[in-house]
Amino acid sequence: MTGQLRIQTDEAGGDAREVRQRVPGAPSPLRLAPQVEAAACSPAVRSLGVHKVIDDRPVLRDLTFDLAPGSYAALLGANGAGKTTLLRMLSTLTLPSRGRIEIFGRCTRKQGALIRAGIGLIGHQSMLYRDLSALENLLFFGRLHDIPEPGVRAMDLLEFVGLVDRANDPVKTFSRGMVQRVSIARALLHEPRLLLADEPFAGLDAPSVAAVERLLEQLNTEGMAVLLANHDVRQSLRLARTVLVLRRGRLVLDCPAGQLSAEDVLGEIDKR
Amino acid sequence: MNSTAINLIPRVYWTLTAFLFAAVGAMVIFWTPREATMGDVQKIFYVHLPLAIHTFLACFVVFVASVMYVLQRRLWWDDLAGAAAKVAVLFASLVLLTGMVWGRSAWGHWWTWSPRLTFSLILWLLYVVYLMIRPSIESPQKRAMISAVYGVIAFLDVPLVYLSTKLLPDIHPESISLAPPMKMTLLAWFVPMTLLAAGLLIARFRLNRRRSVLERGAEEDLEDDRTEDAAYAGPHLTPAGEIA
Amino acid sequence: MNRAIRHIALLTAKDLRIEARGRQTIGLVTVLAILIVVVLALGLAPAPGASGLTATAILWVAYLFGGVLIFEKTMAVERYDEALAGLLLAPIDRGAIFAAKLIANLVLMFTLALVVTPVAVVLFQFDLSASPGGFVVVMMLSMIGYAAIGTLFAALTSSTRLAGGLLAMLVFPVTLTIILASTRVLYNLFEHQQPVGGSGLAILIAFDVIFLVASWLVFELVLEA
Repeated sequence: MTGQLRIQTDEAGGDAREVRQRVPGAPSPLRLAPQVEAAACSPAVRSLGVHKVIDDRPVLRDLTFDLAPGSYAALLGANGAGKTTLLRMLSTLTLPSRGRIEIFGRCTRKQGALIRAGIGLIGHQSMLYRDLSALENLLFFGRLHDIPEPGVRAMDLLEFVGLVDRANDPVKTFSRGMVQRVSIARALLHEPRLLLADEPFAGLDAPSVAAVERLLEQLNTEGMAVLLANHDVRQSLRLARTVLVLRRGRLVLDCPAGQLSAEDVLGEIDKR
Repeated sequence: MNSTAINLIPRVYWTLTAFLFAAVGAMVIFWTPREATMGDVQKIFYVHLPLAIHTFLACFVVFVASVMYVLQRRLWWDDLAGAAAKVAVLFASLVLLTGMVWGRSAWGHWWTWSPRLTFSLILWLLYVVYLMIRPSIESPQKRAMISAVYGVIAFLDVPLVYLSTKLLPDIHPESISLAPPMKMTLLAWFVPMTLLAAGLLIARFRLNRRRSVLERGAEEDLEDDRTEDAAYAGPHLTPAGEIA
Repeated sequence: MNRAIRHIALLTAKDLRIEARGRQTIGLVTVLAILIVVVLALGLAPAPGASGLTATAILWVAYLFGGVLIFEKTMAVERYDEALAGLLLAPIDRGAIFAAKLIANLVLMFTLALVVTPVAVVLFQFDLSASPGGFVVVMMLSMIGYAAIGTLFAALTSSTRLAGGLLAMLVFPVTLTIILASTRVLYNLFEHQQPVGGSGLAILIAFDVIFLVASWLVFELVLEA
């Protein structure tokens, strides 16, 4: 199993380039939606005084920050600091109790449907149907998103994440790492401009972590904004260019990753 | 001084209500004529009808509060709906009991599947279920949402239940012609009964409110920055999220 | 409109495909329903030629419990691995999610009825020959209303720990109306040879319309959160 993963891991980057040459005219997995340039002036994410209360408990308090288009940000914090809730709010699955969130200049309260067409979410859970095959899952979600030629797109993405040979196997037979890669493919189906990833490395073995890291990096190089919720501080500092730290629902740190040491960040996360 | 005056209000209210109940009770016993065919048991009717009407009103309050909760997602509405449901079940139980006593003397059975009795029973069941499911759902927001949807559906169901029980063979009195003292007494009974229903509703609502504020610093606490950290009692993320 | 229908077809096909692959729900539910019929058959020691009224009462018990299990299972498919979040992230109307789930549930319920009804007819020696068509129409109308309510509450309760028992508690009292109305219509049909119609049928149709619309509206609001 590990050997197989490694092979695909090493080829992941090459595959994507290959695909573009192999299928002339077909949309590349990494092609970005044409609106990117048009919306380039508005930030990918703008959060203004956002509060979130769940079950009468304040989970997020007064979050104000911007993320530029094409940025790569890591969202750090202890368990329960509010990372997942923030990502769910950014993806319009839930609305802020107070304050305002804009994704590429659109308010999540009013323009949820438009925003959803421009973001991809990788959650704790795979958001896949375990009884369906990887290809069936991608075809299904692709058709829901009304993408042209979902079959071609699905195969391209499976190639991109290195799972073409398992395309017709049910997702429930996959290892955690493989499920995670299908999940990433699912999030990329509709060519989002912002990718929200909630602990995408959780439960993965080392080769899979490397594969997912590489996928995210590659997507970001191609111009996709990435917001990565993570708990591994060193890994985050290595991957991301911006670091956001949440502590008990408050944003306590928002600065470029280059200026920080892991100890600084850990100190901020744990501070009483 | 001011606060003692406010503390006195419930006491005065309940004393007045009790006094009025005694008064209308006396009216029934000493003033209203004995009904020819039914005898004294007919007098249960003065209690029965106001109870039944207030049951509907309480169910209606549940419905309105439920709709408002679905639209606004404020636990205030859920506390109100819960309080109204308690009143509805209490009153519906009394309606059932008085109806059964009446039926026992009219038809000789505690229970017959007559339309009205069946209707009362189903109505009672609908709202007993409402009360019973609430404690079994832990998350206050999920509890409020499930209760609210149920509160809406149950109320929409009430007229349908009424119509469908009409399909059963009927032996319930359709309309009773009332002598003037009977009418007066019936109207008089509505006064303390309304006071009772409103008093219970308000008392219950205030209790619910206090409880939800105490148990977990309520929404309003967020406005006050100083209480924020006190209200935050550790991580509390719902893994399944709030999609439902 | 076309788009909505395409989405509904897509979603329904997905549910039925998952069911066809595992056949977990329908197998489980059918066996449960047959068990219920057998338990009642043994308990009641049926007299030959039991009336249509007994038939519907017994079938209703089987349908009710089978239905709850179906609603719960088809919604669990969405909760497992949070696939529902994937649906909510797609640019589709939430009403389409409800409609598709309802259709899938109805297909499964009709399949269940198709198996269980003949079993009950044989075990109890029911005589449905007076009006088999009327029986089918009444039962189908009843199931539509029941499935609408069940689909709505299944979506609500599936995220709580105690989904199953809670769902039955929520759905049964509301459904008493349909049971009362449908059994009265069938009673008149089989005992008094009255044709299907009148206020009983009107109540069933009213129930279907009211709760289809209400469930659809509420479902949308509830999933919006």
